[in-house]
Amino acid sequence: MIKLLWQKLALFRRAEFLSPRDLLQRALGISVLFLLAHLAGLREFTSVLNGTVGSVAAGWKLSSFLALIYILLYLAFVILVPVLVLAAVILTVWRRGVQKEENSRIAQETSSRRPDAAG
Amino acid sequence: MKSRMKRILAGLAALVVAAAIWLPCLHLVFTRPLSNFRQDQGLSPKARQLAARHLQLWTEPALREQELKKMRASNAEWDFMGRSYLVWSLANMALRDPASKPLYLRTMDQIIDETLRLEKQEGMYFFLMSYARDRHYLVQPAHSLFLDGEIALMLASRRVIEEKLEYRTLLTERVNVIVERFQKSPRMLLESYPDECWMFDHCVALDAIKMADYLDGSDHSALIRGWIAMARKKLVDPKSGLLISSFNTDGTPLDGPEGSSIWMVAHSLQLLDEDFARDQYRRARKELGEITLGFGYAHEWPKSWKGETDVDSGPIIPWFEISAGSSGMAFIGASTFDDGKFLASLAATLDFAGFPSRTRGRLKYCASNQVGDAALLYAATLGPLWQKVKTGAQP
Repeated sequence: MIKLLWQKLALFRRAEFLSPRDLLQRALGISVLFLLAHLAGLREFTSVLNGTVGSVAAGWKLSSFLALIYILLYLAFVILVPVLVLAAVILTVWRRGVQKEENSRIAQETSSRRPDAAG
Repeated sequence: MKSRMKRILAGLAALVVAAAIWLPCLHLVFTRPLSNFRQDQGLSPKARQLAARHLQLWTEPALREQELKKMRASNAEWDFMGRSYLVWSLANMALRDPASKPLYLRTMDQIIDETLRLEKQEGMYFFLMSYARDRHYLVQPAHSLFLDGEIALMLASRRVIEEKLEYRTLLTERVNVIVERFQKSPRMLLESYPDECWMFDHCVALDAIKMADYLDGSDHSALIRGWIAMARKKLVDPKSGLLISSFNTDGTPLDGPEGSSIWMVAHSLQLLDEDFARDQYRRARKELGEITLGFGYAHEWPKSWKGETDVDSGPIIPWFEISAGSSGMAFIGASTFDDGKFLASLAATLDFAGFPSRTRGRLKYCASNQVGDAALLYAATLGPLWQKVKTGAQP
């Protein structure tokens, strides 16, 4: 039941690679992962950037690893997510433009054929 | 197949166009009016939030212990410098926000008293990196100009805000030790570590002497002039024109010009020789400061000098060669010399990559630490203390 409901939501349906929906799904995935890392408190470990251990108990190795995960997800969230969303918008607008052009071309062709058909 | 390829190419083209739109705009998300970081009068919102966090550390011992433990695991100096920057900040804040002066004075006294107690109880090595014990200081009894200079400047800053007789004696003793050593040293170069002298420490110590002159009517202007003349002649990197950061007692360079040192050196020199200070800042800005896509940052070394990454530079971010240490200290330089464009761009980088964390009006930067945040607080508040001493206004 839940699966069916999930599938009915357009955003979660499997999308074609690099289609607008695919880009939005990736943006959403990154955002969710970043949110989880943020809520887990990994931001505290970024002090390794100035050479200070994130947690004395966790030690250098684990602190650096957690900091790296957080920093990569953060950069993906602030740089990649807006780019993916913008690209999805650009693609949608472009596709609509192409579609519109196509429709008007077909309409033009149809109207120019009509007198022949009548004759 | 053809339509799939067409779709992928269209997707890639859209990503490139989107990146070309977003990347130049990214800084706009993080750029705030300069007054958010620093104001000519009063305290900026950021200064208030940073100060609230520091004041909390000095009212909650367990929290302070936890912060200091993390820093001391890397560098015991940071524990000490965090105290110095906070006291100097509070002195400026007391002049900017007289209504809160009693609270600031209380905190300054608490920090100074605890620092002096620890120095007395644990010895001077408590605030130094462990290699200080590897060799003997050339001049005995051993003194570190790093500690003497910063403690003297803490005591003097406190006394500029309000006289405290107990600190008057302590400042005089500390200054006398420094002056006596300057006079005995053939090259006027004093050790912070065994046979290791730092430009940063000399400038801070000379600031303390200048402030002691202002407070107590002594006159060491000849000593200060003589030292600056010597430094201009012997301690300047010929390629960049920047003061080098460390040297032996005979003046042999150890490190060349460094961002983690020169920004604060330029600030300290402002109290001693305004023109020379401005010249050093201008050169540092040209050699080390950068603004890319609206984000400001600083290199640790000029292009003409190749140094090694160390505890002062912090990790260097490749490609852009961004030094956390130099970028943090660049706030102090930019703020001192009213370089609004650079300061605003540095502040944008700080909010982008410093990972700010706010809790109940208290601000800390997760990518920083207590000493880093205290230096930022100093950059956001500096000015009135130097101004008061320079103009000779009544203590």
